[in-house]
Amino acid sequence: MNDGLDLRHDVQDAQLKDRNRENIGRCDSLVLELRDGSPPRVAAMLIGGAVRRERVGRWMATLGRLLPGARNSASAVSRIPFDAVRSIGTTIEVDVLRDDLPSEHLERWLAKHVVCRIPGADQKQESKT
Amino acid sequence: MKKWGEVALGVVTSIGGFLEVGSIATSVQGGAQFGFQLVWALALGTVCLAVLMEMTGRLAAVSGRSYVDLLREHLGIRFFIIPFVAVLVPGFLVLVSELGGVAIGLQMATGIAFRWWAIPVALVAWALLWRGTFGLVEQGTALLGLASVIFLVGALKLHPHWSAVGAGLVPSAPSRDHAKYWYLVVSILGASISPYLYLFYSAGALEDGWTIEYLGVNRVTAGVGNLFGGGLAIMVLVCAAMVFLPRRIEVDAYEQIALVLATPLGRTGFAFFLITLCITCFGATAEISLAGAYLFAQGLGWPWSENMRPSADSRFASTYSLLLLLAAIPIALGADPLKLTNISMVLSAASLPVTVIPLLVLMNDERIMTSHANGWLGNTALVLIALLSIVLFLAAVPLQMLGG
Amino acid sequence: MSREVPLHELIGRTVRDPDGRTVGRIEELRAEIRLQEQGNEYVVSEFHVGSFGAIETLAGPSLARLLLRRLRFISYRHHRIPWDRLDLADPRNPRALDTLEQLRARHAD
Repeated sequence: MNDGLDLRHDVQDAQLKDRNRENIGRCDSLVLELRDGSPPRVAAMLIGGAVRRERVGRWMATLGRLLPGARNSASAVSRIPFDAVRSIGTTIEVDVLRDDLPSEHLERWLAKHVVCRIPGADQKQESKT
Repeated sequence: MKKWGEVALGVVTSIGGFLEVGSIATSVQGGAQFGFQLVWALALGTVCLAVLMEMTGRLAAVSGRSYVDLLREHLGIRFFIIPFVAVLVPGFLVLVSELGGVAIGLQMATGIAFRWWAIPVALVAWALLWRGTFGLVEQGTALLGLASVIFLVGALKLHPHWSAVGAGLVPSAPSRDHAKYWYLVVSILGASISPYLYLFYSAGALEDGWTIEYLGVNRVTAGVGNLFGGGLAIMVLVCAAMVFLPRRIEVDAYEQIALVLATPLGRTGFAFFLITLCITCFGATAEISLAGAYLFAQGLGWPWSENMRPSADSRFASTYSLLLLLAAIPIALGADPLKLTNISMVLSAASLPVTVIPLLVLMNDERIMTSHANGWLGNTALVLIALLSIVLFLAAVPLQMLGG
Repeated sequence: MSREVPLHELIGRTVRDPDGRTVGRIEELRAEIRLQEQGNEYVVSEFHVGSFGAIETLAGPSLARLLLRRLRFISYRHHRIPWDRLDLADPRNPRALDTLEQLRARHAD
């Protein structure tokens, strides 16, 4: 019972962190594998806007498909096998690297093409850390 | 000992950061129309804000997680959308109003139309967020905001009957213009209890690294800080009551509002009014943009911190940048800042239930709050605030139409 | 034979017993770690199904349920259905393999 996990309370919507303890989004959905004669297996976690829109409702999913770049949206979903999970607490640490995740594409793209083109993006006035 | 320094700083930050365009505009209109009769609304709003801030601050200090973070986890994305939109839409309108406040102040100071100030102000606020740390943004703007103490000076100079002011603490029915009276009550409450305020406070507690040891600091900052801040807002109302009511002046432009200090204190008062307006609105502009970025980033799980360099949290930094840019547009196009302010305050009031009611669940969840969950007093206060928020939600739109 | 189903398509689904009567809605899935040679895996051990009795149809989505559970005077029954006592052949219409009476009897112990 100590290893018990409440999937909706402890995993779904929980903050995920990568190998370097950086935020990589939230668990937007959990994929369960239903098997005949065996208990359902927790197969993977999904991160992505398309998944979130589906959860909000069909209307939102349809709206998302109408947006420009909709094709990119569907492929921007990260599927992380559940056995990559290292620890589950207030956040879930996963053995992946942020740069390998399709759902982090926007973050990388913005950093490279927009943010870093603006002066001062790499410094902070007084670094407290 | 170090904690006391933080307490003092926190209190000062709350005082200096309390006033902004919404509280100034609504307090002035309240005083001009109904004298001291609406003091109770300011007092009630201040107390509610203090309670909500103490709770979201305690939530962050004990759990190490912000209110938005917990909202997303507890409600799931499907229901998180509700408070998300309810905070974002009125919050954005308030942001536009604050930017407008700075622009109007600069117009009064320089003679250059406020439309031309929209983009420059947005740029300066952006630069502050881009290069500054959380401490600089929060404390810098709030310390400068202490200039708002000038309203206390002005009020003293006007020699009101302080007993009459005190009598205003007791709610009383108006003798005329009922719709207008209750409309102002809703506006004042919306200006005092803006959701972005306690959301920002919760995120700020994490930026400042608050832990369980900071619960006392939290209580004093939220309580005492807001008490004094609310007191200043009451001084604004007092000034307006003394200056406008006897002359039966209906306030519908920011230029008139300046009279509130120009009358008792002459040219110095006028100058200080402009300085205070610009600084307090500028501080709020920076704060709300950050609050919006926290809302997106914490709700969706992005990396975030005002202490991180923008290249390390690009989506977070892009969000506040985009919010500032979008907020400048209506002002640059010439939208009436005072009308916008009034609408945004009423919408803020109407949006309260969706951020107050979930607190009832979270503050009693022992898995999150451990031994620091709400006691009966806290829960009673929260339930009363929740009921008030529902009343405001139901009354806001009708009153906007009847009394706005 | 295995199929995949996202968690959010199970949460909130109404569970019925073999006679078609409403048992409640799936509110939570409890999973446990199972040791395998290839590595540990998490498998679902129980489905937590909650029912508000008479007002079950009103107490639809999760937020309302969260709030209603705080109100002690509203009756709320909680069933823990083991994984093999719930038929998920059609994930949209989960079927409990025990009748309401059998579930309540188990709940009572």
